[in-house]
Amino acid sequence: MIQEKQTEKKVIEKELSFGPVHPALVEPYRMRFFVNDEIVEDCEININMAYRGIEKLFEGLPVEKALLIAERVCGICSNVHAWNSVRVIEGGLGIEVPQRANYIRVLVHEFQRITSHLFFFGHAFEVLGHETFAMRSFLLRENFMDLLQYVGGNRVMPSVPIIGGIRPRADLNESLKKVITERVDAFESKYKDYLNRAVEDPLVMSRLSGIGYLTKEDALKFYATGPTGRSSGWNYDLRREMKEYKPFDYDVIVLNEGDTKARVVSRALEVLESLKIIRQIVKGLPEGPVVNRSWVAKKMDYTVSYVETYRGELMHSYGLDQGGFIRNYKIRTPTITNLAAMEQACIGDHVTEAILTIASCDPCLTCCTRTEVIANGKSRIMSDAEIIQRFGWRK
Amino acid sequence: MTLKSIARKNAVHVMLFYSGGCNGCDIEVVNAMLSPRYDLEQYKVMLTWNPREADVLLVPGVVTWQMLEPLKKIYAMIPDPKAVVAVGACAVNGNVYKNLVGDIGVNEEIFAPVETVIPVDVKIPGCPPRPEDIIMGAVKGLPKLMGAP
Amino acid sequence: MDGLLLFIAGLIASSAVAMVVGISFALILPGIERKVQARIQQRVGPPILTPGWWSVLKFMYKSKVEPIAQMPAFYKSLVLIGIVIVSFLLLFVTPYWWSILGWGSILGIAGLLKLEEVLYVLMGSQSQSIMSSSMPVPDLAKGSKFIGIRREFNEQHSAERSLKMMAIGSIPLYLGLVVPFIAAGSGMLNAVVSLQNPDYIVSNWMAIPIPSKPLLFTIPGAMGAIVYFLGFVMLMNEKPFSILKAKIDVIEGGVLEYASSLRAAYYLMRNLLMFSLSSIFNTLFLGIPFDPFMPSMMLINMLLSLIPVVSMATLAAFSPILTFRQIYPAAMGISAFGVLAMILASSL
Repeated sequence: MIQEKQTEKKVIEKELSFGPVHPALVEPYRMRFFVNDEIVEDCEININMAYRGIEKLFEGLPVEKALLIAERVCGICSNVHAWNSVRVIEGGLGIEVPQRANYIRVLVHEFQRITSHLFFFGHAFEVLGHETFAMRSFLLRENFMDLLQYVGGNRVMPSVPIIGGIRPRADLNESLKKVITERVDAFESKYKDYLNRAVEDPLVMSRLSGIGYLTKEDALKFYATGPTGRSSGWNYDLRREMKEYKPFDYDVIVLNEGDTKARVVSRALEVLESLKIIRQIVKGLPEGPVVNRSWVAKKMDYTVSYVETYRGELMHSYGLDQGGFIRNYKIRTPTITNLAAMEQACIGDHVTEAILTIASCDPCLTCCTRTEVIANGKSRIMSDAEIIQRFGWRK
Repeated sequence: MTLKSIARKNAVHVMLFYSGGCNGCDIEVVNAMLSPRYDLEQYKVMLTWNPREADVLLVPGVVTWQMLEPLKKIYAMIPDPKAVVAVGACAVNGNVYKNLVGDIGVNEEIFAPVETVIPVDVKIPGCPPRPEDIIMGAVKGLPKLMGAP
Repeated sequence: MDGLLLFIAGLIASSAVAMVVGISFALILPGIERKVQARIQQRVGPPILTPGWWSVLKFMYKSKVEPIAQMPAFYKSLVLIGIVIVSFLLLFVTPYWWSILGWGSILGIAGLLKLEEVLYVLMGSQSQSIMSSSMPVPDLAKGSKFIGIRREFNEQHSAERSLKMMAIGSIPLYLGLVVPFIAAGSGMLNAVVSLQNPDYIVSNWMAIPIPSKPLLFTIPGAMGAIVYFLGFVMLMNEKPFSILKAKIDVIEGGVLEYASSLRAAYYLMRNLLMFSLSSIFNTLFLGIPFDPFMPSMMLINMLLSLIPVVSMATLAAFSPILTFRQIYPAAMGISAFGVLAMILASSL
């Protein structure tokens, strides 16, 4: 019995740890690889480095102010956090949103999906060691950063949605529609060239293919949502069920390979689908008001809202007390499950490839850090300050 | 102008430290470095990931508890003369994380501004600052470097 | 006796000229390399003197810091040893050294290159940068599956990789290096140059002897040159063969802890190695040696040594970092190609 256990135990030669300050990471987190020679036998990812106590900040704020914090949860997907934050109260209090506002919300959402995916390519190619492709994707990304600035007024924090609609300054006029159409057309041809170049490059493809396999069972087991799950053959996209996306015609990219290449390619194809949606919005933008201001904050039960973001499924939820102040804000971001899936997927790769595999789920950690202590059947969230005061620094 | 200050003016190595902000400034910095549209290298500013090589440390964002020690340590690792640039509103005054608090009153999870942790030479405001501003800030650290003994 | 004194004086003078010209030219090369890459990437890129000259000068003016290493004094001496090795590599291909003790031969060059490679192993095993396992973040958990496992520094991992690269990665360079010597039927540089450039041996210092039958334009010579070039990229640890200092996992490998003047020394070592290897390429495959006492030859050699550098920059701009999954077959294929070149060269 004891002998059997010993034979089952893996012999690990050494541990390599990277981060939180490291060229392969865009955010502070720490990867610990347990390796034999070059092969990764197991992996641990520590993600608590960016804990800022955001959920506590919301407590007791009026909802209009909460929007400001919600937008600053994350710098890549700022718009979707703001959007989801207002969707909670719109759903909970039954606030009517004009159709034109919904269209423009989706437009900005798709803009940011493209910038986010292009940033992902830049990051993935940087991790691959291919500086030229990384720079080219940053150059392509500038097109949509400009458009975001034209629509929202800021490159990163466009701050378009407010409760009941969008900010009137973000409304589209005819000249802006024309600019968007022109930019999208110019972008599409350049982007297709870029994709062809990348797909035909034998060195790049030899690096990407054959590593980081994530089976459909594992994807379901870890709830790897978004493109990460869809590239493992899990045909699930929340956009199908969102009423904002009902008028548009687009395909959901599902690939069955489940390796790192599939995760990159599925995002590359999603950009083309986003372009389709943007064209439809510009063409069929309905006339009418963009904001409905006839609402008052009142007592609201704990309400949940889900949105399909660029990395997967995002949940925001809160309740309002009698005075209209926020209580019990909760955010659940897709990266936390995706990273857990990647921890599994990178086993068996070389060290250099394992980092690429982890990067291929497009980790976005600024929002997904919290510690939960489960004691006596009750769970509570513990802050970093508490942990360090109680357990001290690592020696 | 001595050879020393000419040499320091003509080669500046910049290190980026992700201290735990919201990522927006980090990406704008990376944008300024890597995007051919802005291309910091043409202003003789090069990106490095090694504190031993760096002259200027860019700190975007608030400092969280876990990143406190690494920040102090990495600052100490950079050989003199060195300059620190605080990028973005969070690093300059704490932005929403420090100033927009609800019932808890004081947010104890973060250290903001960055000045409370390490000495800061240049501050770039904005949420997030545009890449042009970041380029200007990285270059504004130069007089300190050039004038140092 | 007078002849010997004159020879020693000439040796010292030629070495001094070669070193001064070599170092000043070598520090321009990284700027050219960076500029070529920048133009490929559709941007302006740094001025040509910035990555070389000004960086080295700037690092010299920085305050001294003690590196974190197992044996700091040894670690600091490694880069200086590297400079000495690379300087001798440059000097051995200048004509005055050809006749001394057989150093100007395949053995001298190959031996020095091997020493140079060993340096990376030693550097990697010494350096203990803060960037990896000694970073002060709370990352050890009580409930972890892996408690008490040896935590290795990135640089140590880089040292293991450089051992592997020594074993397989450097074979192409040596195969390419051997091809001209086989074609000449001798192990001495003198024979290789006189085979390709017979005028050079007899002409005086003013002349411009053009190589009459450069080896590069024969089939085995061209094959050998390709193999030499790929080996050159492997030895320089540039992309696509930069696994031992891959930026994305081991950051810079063993040289991570060199600061201020030692980092200047490292820059100097790397760039001088790049220049020496390109200069050796011209000597071996074109018959144009780096002769400090013959300005025409020296200038042509320096100009032509831009070709391998620019090609390396272009290759680096268009390729990702290869892992050992790709490097093993690639090195085997290139080595096989080199062996074929050797066999063909023996029939020249």
